[in-house]
Amino acid sequence: MGRRPIRRSTSNAVAGYALLAPSLFGVVTFLVLPMFVVLWLSLHSWDLLGPIRYVGLGNWRSVLTDETFGTSMVATLAFILLVVPLQTVLGLLAASLLAVNLPASGFFRTLYVLPWICSPLAIAVLWKWILAPTDGAVSTVLGRPVEWLTDPTLALPVVSAVTVWTNVGYVTLFFLAGILAIPRDIQNAARTDGATTWQRFRYVTLPMLRPTLFFVLVTGIVSAAQVFDTVYALTGGGPQGRTDVIAHRIYAEAFGAAAVGRAAVMAVVLFALLLGVTLVQHVYFRRRISYDLV
Amino acid sequence: MTWSRNAAVYAGLVVLAVVTLVPFGLGLLTSFTSARQFNTESPLSVPSPPTLANYLGLGDAGFGRAIVVTALVTAVILLGQLTFSVFAAYAFARMEFPGRDALFWVYVATLMVPATVTVVPLYLMFAEAGLRNTFWALVLPFMFGSPYAIFLLREYFRTIPTDLIRAARMDGASTLDVIVHVVLPASRPILVTLALITAVSQWNNFMWPLVITSGRTWQVLTVATAGLQSRYDAQWTLVMAATTVAIVPLIVLFVAFGRHIVGSIVVTGLK
Repeated sequence: MGRRPIRRSTSNAVAGYALLAPSLFGVVTFLVLPMFVVLWLSLHSWDLLGPIRYVGLGNWRSVLTDETFGTSMVATLAFILLVVPLQTVLGLLAASLLAVNLPASGFFRTLYVLPWICSPLAIAVLWKWILAPTDGAVSTVLGRPVEWLTDPTLALPVVSAVTVWTNVGYVTLFFLAGILAIPRDIQNAARTDGATTWQRFRYVTLPMLRPTLFFVLVTGIVSAAQVFDTVYALTGGGPQGRTDVIAHRIYAEAFGAAAVGRAAVMAVVLFALLLGVTLVQHVYFRRRISYDLV
Repeated sequence: MTWSRNAAVYAGLVVLAVVTLVPFGLGLLTSFTSARQFNTESPLSVPSPPTLANYLGLGDAGFGRAIVVTALVTAVILLGQLTFSVFAAYAFARMEFPGRDALFWVYVATLMVPATVTVVPLYLMFAEAGLRNTFWALVLPFMFGSPYAIFLLREYFRTIPTDLIRAARMDGASTLDVIVHVVLPASRPILVTLALITAVSQWNNFMWPLVITSGRTWQVLTVATAGLQSRYDAQWTLVMAATTVAIVPLIVLFVAFGRHIVGSIVVTGLK
């Protein structure tokens, strides 16, 4: 006992704080502080240049009764409902094909992730040309112009399809990891019992994939709820606000209409919704004994 | 039976591969087509002769500078984020000091903060600090480490045998020596994983640079591509050259580290 252990633990503490200092500065300044600033901003009005004025709940009242915001919430929800189920089903399908483990499976697996690695903005610009009505690739093949991105009924499904195309390879990776983690014995036992391929998929693979499925759905919802780059480049929120998803609305409100307070309100609403989704995920994983995600 | 099943599986795999690759191929072809050929012949005709005119045209649109800025921003963030994340993760995993666990929970809680929500308040903070349209505005929010990287590194560092660290300590090594000579060499795989994911996501970053920069001085590649597309809406050959430039470095990275990237995604599960 005596002085040595105490001195050592003090110097250890100093070293610990010193190692933490840079990242603590970053976390507090760029993640914690902005959450307070956005709440504060939601009670103020600011046009990006002039003075900031306190307006109480004015922004909240104006946003929550605003039809544009309603349209935007509907667009976001519709986008999530189109993208998440489709990318999940296609990802599961692709993973099932890859899990057969034929030669070159690894090559295909890597290839499918390519769109997801690339900049979503660049991908969207690429598709903007492919879908262009007059000199785009699809119109050329069809031999007639189709207004994929400016037709109010087509725009959102088309933007969703481009997003699904980007994400499928990513979703596939998680399902593949999940399928390969299923013990061989269980599959073999089912086979010995005379289960068909479909029965084995339905009654063995699918139930064993539940944690993966849940992970893929939750992360899919959280990222689809924040889609921005793709919408910005493909439609700019149009036509008639049909693709004006919440992240794009926040951007347009703050940096297009210079109504920063209103944008802050929307950001707080988005945060609350995403927090809800994330908490559901945490409760689910808490209940499970093991914490392995994939 | 097996033969026909395998054929069906391959058919499915090939269809998915074609659907994945064709858009890239078409964009690439168009980027080598002259504007005149594109406008007079079918937009899908094979470039004859292939031309670099579109790529040269990008120079006039400030793409040279945008590439340099993007590379610098990515490099600075990569270096800062890895260094400071390693520091923090080591402190959390291997050191004891008051408040350690409470601080760690603060870090974990910030994992739930979405980037879309912080853009508006960060803009106000940077505007008030007079840092709009500066290099610092591009790198500061990301260069001090990421809670997710710290979380993953901490898990990894805890698997390094204590004896290794104690032995180094006995030899008189400082904390920094231990990190550099013991911890880092033992953590190569997770470091490669984090480096790849960080590089990819920073190279592709769009919303924050779009908001915080203006004009050409600090324009990054994604912002330059978006700007080009809206300014030259009908000049698709030029626009396709721009998307190719934005995408190709990632494809190169992908060809070089493809397997690592695939592994990284499963480990980190995030972009």
